Amino acid sequence: MIKAVHLTKQLPNGKLLLNDISFEVSKGEFLGILGPSGAGKTLTLKSLIGLLDLTKGEVWIEESNNEHINIFNTKAKVLKKLRTKIALIFQGYHLVQRATALDNVLMGRLGSISTFRSLIFGFNEVEKKAAMSSLEKVNMQHLAQAKVASLSGGEKQRVAIARALFQEPNLLLADEPISSLDPKNAKIIMGILKELSTLFPVIGVFHQPELCAKYCSRIIAIKDGKKVYDGPPVLEESLLEFIYGEELAIVIPEKYSN
Amino acid sequence: MLKKILHIVAFLFFILVTYFAMQACGFKVEALQKGIKDGLFFLTEMFPPNWTDFKSMVDPALETLALAILGTILGSLVSFIIALFAASNVSNKWVNLFVRSFISIERSIPELFILLILIAAYGLGALSAILALMIGCIGMLGKLFADAIEETPTSLIESMKASGASKIQIIYYGILPDVFPKLISYALFRLEINIRLSVMLGAIGAGGIGFELDYAFSMLLYNRALSSLIMVLILVIGIEQLSAYIRKRLSIHQI
Repeated sequence: MIKAVHLTKQLPNGKLLLNDISFEVSKGEFLGILGPSGAGKTLTLKSLIGLLDLTKGEVWIEESNNEHINIFNTKAKVLKKLRTKIALIFQGYHLVQRATALDNVLMGRLGSISTFRSLIFGFNEVEKKAAMSSLEKVNMQHLAQAKVASLSGGEKQRVAIARALFQEPNLLLADEPISSLDPKNAKIIMGILKELSTLFPVIGVFHQPELCAKYCSRIIAIKDGKKVYDGPPVLEESLLEFIYGEELAIVIPEKYSN
Repeated sequence: MLKKILHIVAFLFFILVTYFAMQACGFKVEALQKGIKDGLFFLTEMFPPNWTDFKSMVDPALETLALAILGTILGSLVSFIIALFAASNVSNKWVNLFVRSFISIERSIPELFILLILIAAYGLGALSAILALMIGCIGMLGKLFADAIEETPTSLIESMKASGASKIQIIYYGILPDVFPKLISYALFRLEINIRLSVMLGAIGAGGIGFELDYAFSMLLYNRALSSLIMVLILVIGIEQLSAYIRKRLSIHQI
């Protein structure tokens, strides 16, 4: 479970990038965060993992023994340990291009092993086997030894998800994971994310309201740094128009372009 | 019309500047003519090159090569460490501003000056030359390495940081594999420069083929001088060609 309370980020010039955003996500939920460009979706996601210094706000993450920890008010060591159980995936540009798919998956557990061991011995057979089975879950085992640079966009994203799975996370965060994919691959990735949300909470930032409505279990909309919608993935046209304004024709071209 | 007058004035000004500059450094056309005569005599004296001498130049040439290679390897390692502090995606803002300024300042110091200081500290010899070449690398490689490291996508570094990886793990697993061919290619480029520099440093007293060249000239052994000159050309052009070939092959592996 993860709980965000009053997330607020203010620039020195007074502009509010995040304006008092609060929500709670538990296991079994696949939360989609929607909103126009520059609304604060990615910032919200980054603050959930402490990659953004907030002006105000707390993020509580459940540890294994039912204890909740505020990531903004904890020791660096505890935060590092918490982070090893939080997986983060981006648009697909966060893989090492010249390394193999398998090596990229293995990187997911770097936080759990000592720096010394990772430099001198690398990963052992048990870990390699586990990494292979992560690749199998996203149906990429046949390309384990392929260099990432040679993979397609959809394949890269599946490697990224395999890396996230290999972390055995308690929480999965995805920042526009399907933005660079074609419709078919986008649906495959959304399907995988939905399936994973039965194991741990999945929170994703998306630009595709229609796919969100189809796969997510809940939707939050952010506009100008403020939460403007939080509820079931039923998106009325009037709501979409309110959220996106002039950008509507870009996010749902087939319906609104004329 | 005005434009034409301006052109004429500029041209006269150019002639005047040239004339005064020649006066200031004692440049005389007659001396130039005499020099050509002496130079031709000098060249005829040099021929034919002495092949026994040429063979004895192989060891000094290898010494110069070793000097350049060692200086480049040590310099690349030091530059890589410094570049990590100069790259904005690895270290923090103030550190990399400071380190970047340091690199720029180093770049503007001539290697000869560095060598003279090192000679004062360590005496004349190979150690001073190697250190001079090593320090000389920092200005160029430090900047190029740092720029290459900065090309690593922020999302890659953030996703690793987010999964709890340490800074050293991020560098070793996340950054190095993708930038490595580029770093090697820059280091080879620096090796070409260092070969030429180490010939020059040799002439000042660091030993090697540069020393042989200087020695032969000052002892008026012109045949010997030509042999060492040919050896220098072989060394410099050979390393340049080899380095260019390897760099071309490496560029295929860059993304």
